[in-house]
Formats: sequence, C-alpha cells, structure tokens
Amino acid sequence: MTVIRPSVPSESAAVIEGLSDEQLLVAVGVSQDRQAFNTLFQRFSKRIFAMGMKLTRNEQLSQDLVQEAMMTVWTKSPLYNLDRGTAQSWIFTLARNRCFDMLRKKKRQPQTVSADDIWPQDAGVDMALTHEAEGPQAVEVEQIERLYAQLPPAQQHVIEQIYILDRTHEEAAAELAIPLGTLKSRLRLAMAKLRSLIGVEQ
Amino acid sequence: MTSANYHPSDRVLREYVQGQLSTGMCVALSAHIELCSNCAEQCGELESQEAAAWLHADTEHATPDFAEMANTIMELPQQTDWDGAISDESLASEIQLTDQNFSLPRVLAKAASNGLVWKKIAGGISQASLAIDHETQCEFLYMAPGSKVPVHHHQGTEVTLIIGGGFEDEFGRYGPSDFLVRAKHDHHQPSTEEGCLCFAVLDAPLTFTQGLARLLNPINRYRFYRATSHRR
Ligand SMILES: [Zn+2]
Repeated sequence: MTVIRPSVPSESAAVIEGLSDEQLLVAVGVSQDRQAFNTLFQRFSKRIFAMGMKLTRNEQLSQDLVQEAMMTVWTKSPLYNLDRGTAQSWIFTLARNRCFDMLRKKKRQPQTVSADDIWPQDAGVDMALTHEAEGPQAVEVEQIERLYAQLPPAQQHVIEQIYILDRTHEEAAAELAIPLGTLKSRLRLAMAKLRSLIGVEQ
Repeated sequence: MTSANYHPSDRVLREYVQGQLSTGMCVALSAHIELCSNCAEQCGELESQEAAAWLHADTEHATPDFAEMANTIMELPQQTDWDGAISDESLASEIQLTDQNFSLPRVLAKAASNGLVWKKIAGGISQASLAIDHETQCEFLYMAPGSKVPVHHHQGTEVTLIIGGGFEDEFGRYGPSDFLVRAKHDHHQPSTEEGCLCFAVLDAPLTFTQGLARLLNPINRYRFYRATSHRR
C-alpha cells in the first residue's frame, strides 16, 4: 500500500487543539496522526467512561469500554468519511455497540447476533455513493488527479474502470478478475478516502 | 419496500438508539428499521440527538487515568479495506414454508443462520425458536393460510414484526413490516386468510386460556423457563 502524505501535518499542539473532531478523525484515518489521536482520546475518553457507567454500572467494565471503543476508533478511522455524519455520532454509535457487546458477553448470551448486526455500520454508505454524481463543490481537476495518485493501485484500478472507462460494476469486476463484493468494497473505500482528503484540504 | 402502518413508539426508538433494550427487542427493531425508511430516518435523527446530549452531559463520575492507554492502542494496525466490514452475502435470506417464500431482513437472516427447527403448535401454527438472549423468548411464528391462534394472553410484553403475509385480530388488520406491541393482559385472537410469517419477542411466558390449547401451558412455561434459566 502506498504511503499517503499527511494532509494535516504534525504541527504544534495549538494547531491540533484547534481542529474539529472530524478533521482529527480524518487525520487519524488517513495518516495515522498520533497527535490527532491523542487529542481525540482526551476529548472522548471521559465521555465513553460515563456512557459505560450509565449502561453497565460497573467501573471495571467501563474502563474496558474506553479501551475497546478508542481502539475501534483507531483501527476503523480509515473507514470514516464526512458522509457518515459527525465524528461525535460516529464515535457515539461505535462506543454504544462495543458496550452492548461487552454486556452480552458478560451475560453469556449466545453469539448469534452482535451489535454490528443490529446497527449495521455500512447502512448509509450506499446512499452516500449515489450522491457522488453531484461531486464535491469547487474541487479542481488537478486536485482530484493529485489525490487519486495517493490511492493504492488496487483502488485506482477500480476508480478507473467505473469513472473513467464508464463500466458497470459487473463489467469492471470481470475485467479486473475480482469478485463483485471486493470491487464494491474497494470502490467505497476509494471514494471515502478521496472525500476525506478533499474535506481536509478545504 | 412495503410501507408499514404500525411503528415502534419514539420512546422505544430512543431506548434502542441508547442501547438500553434487550438483544431480542433490538433484533425486532433492527429488522423493522431495515424495512421502514421512516423509522430508519427517525433513528438517524435520534442518534444525532443522543450523541450531542452525550457530549454535553455533566460527568458525574471521577474518571480514571488513561494516560498509557492511547499509546498502547496506537501500536495496533488499522483496518485498511472494507472487505472486513462488509456483511456476509452468503447468508440464506429466504425461508420457504408450505408454498410461500419469505425474504428475511439481514439481522434475522443472521439470527437464523444456525438453522431453524420448526414445531407445530396448534391448528396450522408452527414455531421456531431462536437463541438470542436470556431475557426474552424469540421465535418465528408461521400461520398457515386459514389458521387461527387460540385465545391467549401475555404475562409480559409481546412484540410482533410481520415479515410476510398478514393477519387480523380484534384490534385491526396487519401486513408486511408492521411492528406490533401487545401489553400485559391483552387478550387477542389472531387469524389469517393468506398465511403469515412473524418474528415475535416475548419478555414473559405466553399463557393460552382456551380449550385444548390449555394443555400447552406447562410446555410453554417449561420452554420459556429453560430458555431463560441461564440468568438465574
Ligand atoms: Zn416504522
């Protein structure tokens, strides 16, 4: 995978403090920005602990929840983009889901359905994809080209098939010899990343 | 998408968004929301409200020191592709009963993925239990065309989501994706012309009150207590 240049350079703490939750989350997802993650951690860990105390009434479980939820913020941040709503909603639902699963485990419930089955994470994504014909406002062609070059080759190929050669999803999957599901997931990730990069630059 | 006429109340949707309800109840709500764009939209709105309230509430607990935690977390690799996040498309999402085909909402297909064992209960009614949690009794109920459920009442709350077909009782007629709540002590007698597949969540045993069906009582109770015995 190609290294993506940090769009939010690691500057002074004061600059980081001034960024919105969304900008921080994108910086963590796009460039593994440690300062941005530390700032998100400071902003959200107390809140997650309070949610844990409310739902579990157990201090140990609530501490575990902070660990689990912030870990999910870190590992899943590349999947976040501005179309998925505010960072606070994204982190709220993610913390709620981890908490729900921790309680299910503590109560020894069967493992048939998890919180992510009940509240599907990709619910709004297809809808988000249909909006992209309108495109982000005021994005220069050269900006798109530059950002496109930052995508991993596998994602570039998918974008090329769909948006440049105007193929259908099925045709593109056949051309690239990958399953349709993989094609769709790469397309989503690529579009999410492009949107995130554009959002940060503007 | 079929449009439902009966929906969960705002209070129930809010508790669902907050993560306060039993897993069984959450599964019924999730399935309805997949079928009902109104409730899906409402949930999105409630999530924003709850997230904002969550961030602005006073913290009443002393928060432990998490100083080292952030650094430990950042040692972990990040998830870099959607493949892991995509739902399993190989889930069987249809149920065939007699000559009717029903397609299942995703969460129910997942809940049923270990297989279903159908048991005939009474006059054209079949039931297949789902092991979802220890607080509720969850099951698919199938009413063959032209069948009638014996009069019964509930000792707790019963939630019914209609997956396909429809039925009627003393209170009205119900069709696909309708979400019904029957409170304690409501007597009702559903019947169906066209046949109906439902997902039902009970938070207390069902008590039949009429005729031969009374014989089912001990079995029903036994089944329920067995299903819930883990929590004792
Ligand atoms: Zn609804």
